[in-house]
Amino acid sequence: MPRQGTVRFAPRPVTLALVAATAAVGLVLTGCTSASPGGDASTPASGGTLTYASGDAEPTCLDPHVGGNYPQALVASQFLESLVSLNADGDVIPWLADSWTVSPDGLSWEFTLRDGVSFTDGTPLDAAAVQANVAHLQDPATGSSTGYLALAKVTGTEAVSDSVVRLTLAEPDSALLESLSQPWLAIQSPTALERSQDENCAAPVGTGPFIVDSWVKQNAITLVRNDDYTSPPQDAAHEGAAYLESIVWRFIPDSASRYAALQAGEVDVIDNAQPDTISQAESSESIVHLDAPRPGASNRIELNSGKAPFNDAAVREAFIRSANVDDAVTALFQGSAERSYSALSSVEPLGTSRPDLFDYDPDAAADLLDAAGWSETDADGYRVKDGVRLTVVFPVSTNQSIPAEQSLFEQIQATAKETGFDVQLSRLDLASWYTALGSNDYDAVSAPYTKVGPDVLRILFDSAGIVPAPSGYFANHAQLNDPELDALLAQANATNDADTRAALYADAQDIVLEGFYILPLYDQQNHFLLSSAVEGARALPTVSTPTFYDTWLNR
Amino acid sequence: MLVLWAVATVTFFAVRLIPGDPAEAILGGPGSQTSPEALAAVRAEYGLDQPVLLQYLSQLGRLATGDLGRSYALNMDVGPLVFSQLGGTLILALLALTVAWLIALLLATWSTGRGRLARQIGSGLEIVAAALPHFWLATTLIVVFSVWWGVLPPISTMDARGLVLPVITLAIPLAGFLGQVMRESLTIALESPFVLSARARGESDRGVLWRHALRHAALPAISLSGWAFGSLISGAVVVETIFARPGLGRTLLNAVTVRDVPVVVGVVMIVALAYILMTVLTDLASRLTDPRPIRTPTGADA
Repeated sequence: MPRQGTVRFAPRPVTLALVAATAAVGLVLTGCTSASPGGDASTPASGGTLTYASGDAEPTCLDPHVGGNYPQALVASQFLESLVSLNADGDVIPWLADSWTVSPDGLSWEFTLRDGVSFTDGTPLDAAAVQANVAHLQDPATGSSTGYLALAKVTGTEAVSDSVVRLTLAEPDSALLESLSQPWLAIQSPTALERSQDENCAAPVGTGPFIVDSWVKQNAITLVRNDDYTSPPQDAAHEGAAYLESIVWRFIPDSASRYAALQAGEVDVIDNAQPDTISQAESSESIVHLDAPRPGASNRIELNSGKAPFNDAAVREAFIRSANVDDAVTALFQGSAERSYSALSSVEPLGTSRPDLFDYDPDAAADLLDAAGWSETDADGYRVKDGVRLTVVFPVSTNQSIPAEQSLFEQIQATAKETGFDVQLSRLDLASWYTALGSNDYDAVSAPYTKVGPDVLRILFDSAGIVPAPSGYFANHAQLNDPELDALLAQANATNDADTRAALYADAQDIVLEGFYILPLYDQQNHFLLSSAVEGARALPTVSTPTFYDTWLNR
Repeated sequence: MLVLWAVATVTFFAVRLIPGDPAEAILGGPGSQTSPEALAAVRAEYGLDQPVLLQYLSQLGRLATGDLGRSYALNMDVGPLVFSQLGGTLILALLALTVAWLIALLLATWSTGRGRLARQIGSGLEIVAAALPHFWLATTLIVVFSVWWGVLPPISTMDARGLVLPVITLAIPLAGFLGQVMRESLTIALESPFVLSARARGESDRGVLWRHALRHAALPAISLSGWAFGSLISGAVVVETIFARPGLGRTLLNAVTVRDVPVVVGVVMIVALAYILMTVLTDLASRLTDPRPIRTPTGADA
């Protein structure tokens, strides 16, 4: 039910192209060969070692069931596989599960597993293995956060036969397949899961094209080829074992060194490429850029509607109108990031984009503040109401916001000042930042959230997300408390009808966007730079982690 | 012992007093949402649910028995972790110290006794070198030697090539400091009466410099080396991060970020131990180098 002025992804040609482009990054590297078989004159050559350099923090545990963050997903994508995957269009496709059915009430799901698949320790993939994985994820001793949350509605498992497993749900969950496609819910060998957590963290065992061979902490993880590999996802380019003999997975925290290492040929792939290196790489013959925005939420500034001054919608709108985001994004990201006007990532097919709501308009912002009672101005040029300055406390996580993003926040601070906002940026390390959020000591904040599918809206904006966990952590940073929105998100999560679901999520996003609870910035940036010798690499369309199964070295 | 206790205490409270919840860092990380059950389990497992004073005492008790405890974040004991990282940093620091000494010696001996211009060039180079920040030096060296000339790897490698740039990065500023101290005392030594008498015995210029004056000139620089070693370890935080070298500096940085108290305390304790050891060694070296007769406080000849 598109409303007046509402722009959805599908009807708008420009955005459609964007969707197509971003969807296609799953398959195509800019300026490189596509991953489709036979698409290139050169034939894949077997052998060789690929060196990957990650800018992320080194995982503390390689089993993505434990905790569950993006660095774990990146490396686990090479050796673990999930029940289902997504194709480039965002449709769910078979992987370790061949097919699945859901009961009419949506409470019972049956997955038929692929034949002849074994874990790399020889354990066969069967219904009992899937049961063991669900149990492992739901066991508090595992310490799973992402996977635990994704299986919140699953109350039981049952082996219908050797190859058919049934999941029983407390309530229907339209996000179940999307959740299961994520690397954090990958299926591991039940035999290996019985080991101690330390052992399993050091070398998880899956069905993937590579095997964890060794992990020298603070140095490198070595992965070797699984010669008996039989279970590529439906959209892979070839069958059988991977071409690469091994992968060395290194951690190079400094962005400039990482890029220098790629230029010097010491490494073949780097992640977390920064805007300045991306623009350098674009003009290089020997380096290829892979842009794979993460799914789930867009990167956005969330405005804390739970307390003054942002408990007033007019002040939120004034802040958004007073921030000149477009110019800053163009200047700071040098063309590597596209401005977003959506709560969701552009790879989410159900995302709603509303450019009309986020114009830079300082005059309108000033009028809004006047009308909202912030009409006086103090000696420093900031707006004042009842003797209180219009202050926006904005803690910035230096672990999560890249330098360009931190500069963007400074630009926003500068432009919002012209309208009379006193934006107080404070750069904090991760632990201090969590504490600032937990003690409700913020008016604006930017936090990434990666999840497959629009159900991420429920995590981020359902009023249940305002109640902090014992740690003080919570996901609803906008502190959006709207029963109508809660109801829409619950219905969307419960329906198995695709059209109804899409309409419900569209309405839910309108509430979030029209209420000015968030200022969308751009997709969650996820840029990889590859040596041009690396052929056939692509990002999995699930959480945009690269896979090197089809990859071979042309050198 | 007192020093080590003080180090452990100050470090523990310094890390715990800055805001941040280790439990959240243990489980969370960007983009993940922690369940209350998981948090409670982690808190209980690591004793984070107890009062800070109790945590401090139990940590102190463990340290007294030589147990460095278990890392919150890395799923391993601190002892093996720190010792596995110690080697890399020690090699880096010792090589840097050696290279710094060589550069300082060359600069000091070249620029002394060669007139004002040489002295000014030497002194100027030293001041510039001493003022160079590690991060700038590291990035510049990477650009020149790895990106432009492609002769050295910008990151650590299995072979010795990867050590060159990190060592030079750490050595240059230190060489500046050492060189300044060395040249000043060398100048004073060369003007001393014993140099005159050596010359009177027919000693050559080179002989005077290397056999007589340098031993005096080296003394302050040797005592400075104890301090320098400490500064090299702190420089290792920057250098190991930029060159992606495994080592104590990088371990420390990661541990502080996630409030991994046992690792921070463990690393700082080991560094303090190394520092104490180095100070003892430099004292010893000073005694060996000092040509003057050594007298113990009681006045008896040693």
